[in-house]
Amino acid sequence: MFQARNLCHVTALIFLCSLGNSFAAETQLRFVTWKSETAQMWDQPIADFEKQNPGVKVIREIGPQSSTQLHDLITQKLKNRDTQMDVFVMDVIWPAEFASAGWALPLDRFFTLAEQKQFLDAPIQANHYRGQIFGVPLFVDAGLLYYRKDLLEKYGIPPPRTWPELVEEAKTILAQEKDPQLVGFSGQFKQYEGLICNMMEYILSNGGNLWDDQRLVSTLNQPRALAAVRFVRDRIIGQIAHRGVLAYEEPESLVLFTEGRAIFHRNWPYAWNVANDSQRSKVTGKIGMMPLPSFPGGKGVAALGGWQLAISRFSKKSELAWRFVAFMTSHAMQKRVTLSTGRAPARAALYSDREVLDQLPQLKSLWETFKQAVPRPTTPVYVPLSNIMQRYFSSVLALPHTNIDKRAALAARDMDRVLDLVREAPAP
Amino acid sequence: MRSSHRLAFLFLLPSLIFVGLFAFYPIFESFRLSFYRSILTLPWLGQKMVGWENYTDLWTDPVAAESLRTTLFFVVTTIPLELGVGLGMALVMNEVFRGRGLLRAVVLIPWAIPTVVSSQMWRFIFNDRYGLFNFVLFGGDASRYLAPLADPTLALLAIIVAEVWKTAPFVALIVLAGLQTIPDELYEAASIDGATAWQQFRRMTLPLIRPALLLALLFRTIDALRVFDLVFVMTQGGPADATNVLSFYGYKKIFAEGMVGYGSAIAVGVFLISLILSLAYLRILKSSRLEGTSR
Repeated sequence: MFQARNLCHVTALIFLCSLGNSFAAETQLRFVTWKSETAQMWDQPIADFEKQNPGVKVIREIGPQSSTQLHDLITQKLKNRDTQMDVFVMDVIWPAEFASAGWALPLDRFFTLAEQKQFLDAPIQANHYRGQIFGVPLFVDAGLLYYRKDLLEKYGIPPPRTWPELVEEAKTILAQEKDPQLVGFSGQFKQYEGLICNMMEYILSNGGNLWDDQRLVSTLNQPRALAAVRFVRDRIIGQIAHRGVLAYEEPESLVLFTEGRAIFHRNWPYAWNVANDSQRSKVTGKIGMMPLPSFPGGKGVAALGGWQLAISRFSKKSELAWRFVAFMTSHAMQKRVTLSTGRAPARAALYSDREVLDQLPQLKSLWETFKQAVPRPTTPVYVPLSNIMQRYFSSVLALPHTNIDKRAALAARDMDRVLDLVREAPAP
Repeated sequence: MRSSHRLAFLFLLPSLIFVGLFAFYPIFESFRLSFYRSILTLPWLGQKMVGWENYTDLWTDPVAAESLRTTLFFVVTTIPLELGVGLGMALVMNEVFRGRGLLRAVVLIPWAIPTVVSSQMWRFIFNDRYGLFNFVLFGGDASRYLAPLADPTLALLAIIVAEVWKTAPFVALIVLAGLQTIPDELYEAASIDGATAWQQFRRMTLPLIRPALLLALLFRTIDALRVFDLVFVMTQGGPADATNVLSFYGYKKIFAEGMVGYGSAIAVGVFLISLILSLAYLRILKSSRLEGTSR
């Protein structure tokens, strides 16, 4: 009897506590994002937002840094219709998938056309799916070529315009330097999403493509795509780049460059600040940055990357969530975050802003690259397509004796099967 | 009699509900989903019953076949290594010497570390530039450094090494428990009869710890078939799909690609393989127990 009464007390107490919680004056907004090394990226903007919106508390939930693993976490929440998560970061390749699955809230009623025009065009396009927009661009990324200016000058070599030139120049320098620690090139060739970005830059700059977005068929087994892949396998991997790059994501490949052990390096814009930070880099002031080369007769292509902010369709606070998204992507906030972190903003006006250019002169030269950067085609079945392509690229690069034509045909067949699924996709 | 049955049932009820909810329901649900075409990112396709289509697809899927081969290779290479190393460790730990308690504790550390943490550690060890592996093999001569995680053959071997390192202590623990049930008098009698140490091991120790070894074998086989975390942290299935074990392939299908039906079919496949193997082991285990009692 006594125990039963105790139990009643405890239950009542728990009940009261939970009531107390829901009556608290504070409104919580949950924001899922990746971890940043600097407080300026999330902490300070969030503190400012809270100051402007008394009674609002933004809970920041930190997910994995890897886009692939963050995707698994966020989609898991969305699949479960988690009403806790309100705002989340979205990689440039996710909007179509999240829109098609009904996970991301269409933002058209908040995000006006006039406002959309303030942003770079490529990320705005990437956030569209079947006529609606699902994310607001925060930062943009595009593939760039970094090089050791000091070494090129030492041998009187101009920066390369084509991929074959790059290979020859690297070989010349390697032969003269005779340094066993030095490699000609580092990039990202592990079996993961970054491999698609790297390989697409070779394939597209040779006039090929990954798949035909209109006819919904794979184009991996067409001659120009095949030739580009063959070039990477025969002239880069195990030649000017050591085979270790087959396990490299961005950080590992960048360390090789910042330690002064790579002549050429493919990476995103953030690498510029890291490589020029004497705390973290041995090549400060010895490096140059330029658009990626092309194949002879082609045009250099940079893969478009970047992050957007999106609102969960299951959020019960979409108005407040939008206020937060609008705040984070506002001109003032983008300018501040750009100045403090060096990340490339998504708002076009900042590329001609005096103050920004004074501090980050490299943005001026990046402008053209960003304007022309090519997004990976938008489709709700992007992930399965990417996995098929990752398998194909990794196999032909890691196993030098495989038959590229045969592997490409298999990959193309698998991709076509997946693309068939979206042939009759209705508007969301 | 009747009321005691009812009482027994009542006592069992909580665990029955627990097992039903957390074991049988998910298994049943995976079976059910494996007969549907259900793609999360394409909701307009709906959940369509497709019969055996996922299974016929699975049967002809070259990636799944390769993945099965990789998984089986992983199982048949790790298990003998784990049993051998584990047995050796158990024999040493069973001897009486100073510091035995400390040794027993130290040996268990690899098993106690969460796999995600130890996988990360092995990833660093096998790093091509600053990894301990290269340093031990080649010292400072960076030109000869290998990149194990970038090579399809070596990457799988690297994962096998990490797995053996982690689970040999578990085998040792089970075998040690078996060793401790053998009375010392048996060895004394054998010594008096003139049996050599090898004969004692071969004719007494090994048969008497057979049930323990079989138990370890059962646990390890099922666990190795489902290997996931090492691959997830160390290689993400690459390079060239060389470490794309079945559980990881299924995970990617369901959680990354949203192909719930097909991924469930893979999960059911893994389940059936482990079930068949477990039943086979249990039979052997049972017969070996009977042998033990009949003697």
